[in-house]
Amino acid sequence: MNDKMKNLAWVLALLALALAGTVGFMLLRAKPSGGDIAVISVDGKELRRIDLGAVTEPYDIPVTTDWGSNTVHVERGGISVTESDCPDGICIRMGVLRAGGGLPIVCMPHRLVIRLEESDVYA
Amino acid sequence: MPKTKKMAFMAVLTAIALGIFMLEAQLPSPVPVPGVKLGLANVITLAAICILGRGEAAAVLVMRILLGAVFAGSPSTLLFSAVGGAVAYALMCVLTALIPRERLYVTSALAAVGHNAGQLLACQLVVHTPGIWGYFPILGASGIITGLFTGIAAKYLLRSLDRSGLLDDK
Repeated sequence: MNDKMKNLAWVLALLALALAGTVGFMLLRAKPSGGDIAVISVDGKELRRIDLGAVTEPYDIPVTTDWGSNTVHVERGGISVTESDCPDGICIRMGVLRAGGGLPIVCMPHRLVIRLEESDVYA
Repeated sequence: MPKTKKMAFMAVLTAIALGIFMLEAQLPSPVPVPGVKLGLANVITLAAICILGRGEAAAVLVMRILLGAVFAGSPSTLLFSAVGGAVAYALMCVLTALIPRERLYVTSALAAVGHNAGQLLACQLVVHTPGIWGYFPILGASGIITGLFTGIAAKYLLRSLDRSGLLDDK
């Protein structure tokens, strides 16, 4: 195999891996877990546990720790971060975590994680 | 390379890496996945390993991460970038010895995946949520793509440096 072919083979192999990862991620994200209980934790310590199926009126939970402040919005069947003073705002853009399945909402700078109780894929 | 020249190179590379790092921190993330970023500052780490050596590159990397946290990050994210950076650096050291410089992009892509794995590991240790590994496939995929890009950039940087004569010992 000449050098050009070798380069092509390497790039294709790497791109195939990247594609596999993307597909795997999409499958994983869509995987139903059946969980209705949302768990809010900061720094690995559980703060609150909410049964999303039992919510009647939407409400906000302010989560303020040494790391920073977030506003967690709870509605029937869903939970999201609506405000955050973190630098990237990724937690807000991650949208609503719906009861029944989905990857945890993470705010890395604030060490905040919102997950469904059964959403731990490897648990 | 004489010692003084090496030191000057280390200082310049640290400054450039910090500049790139801070500029990148201002860009909004294209996708709402924690940990996805271009990692352009790794162009400098790769180049430093190739032209200065492993020890010198480690010094440049450590300085960039520390100064980066001071100027653009938070104490909380310092841990993630430090662990990610250490894993990526270790992979770069091993792989640059195994893979010819012509294929620096392979080293770079694998190191970027290692960086993302290290970041997730640090995050896992902090938040105790195994569920965050669900993000690994997409972080790995993004690492491969951005790593290919930074590897190609590093290759051209090295080529220009070679041609510039800056690396010739006089």
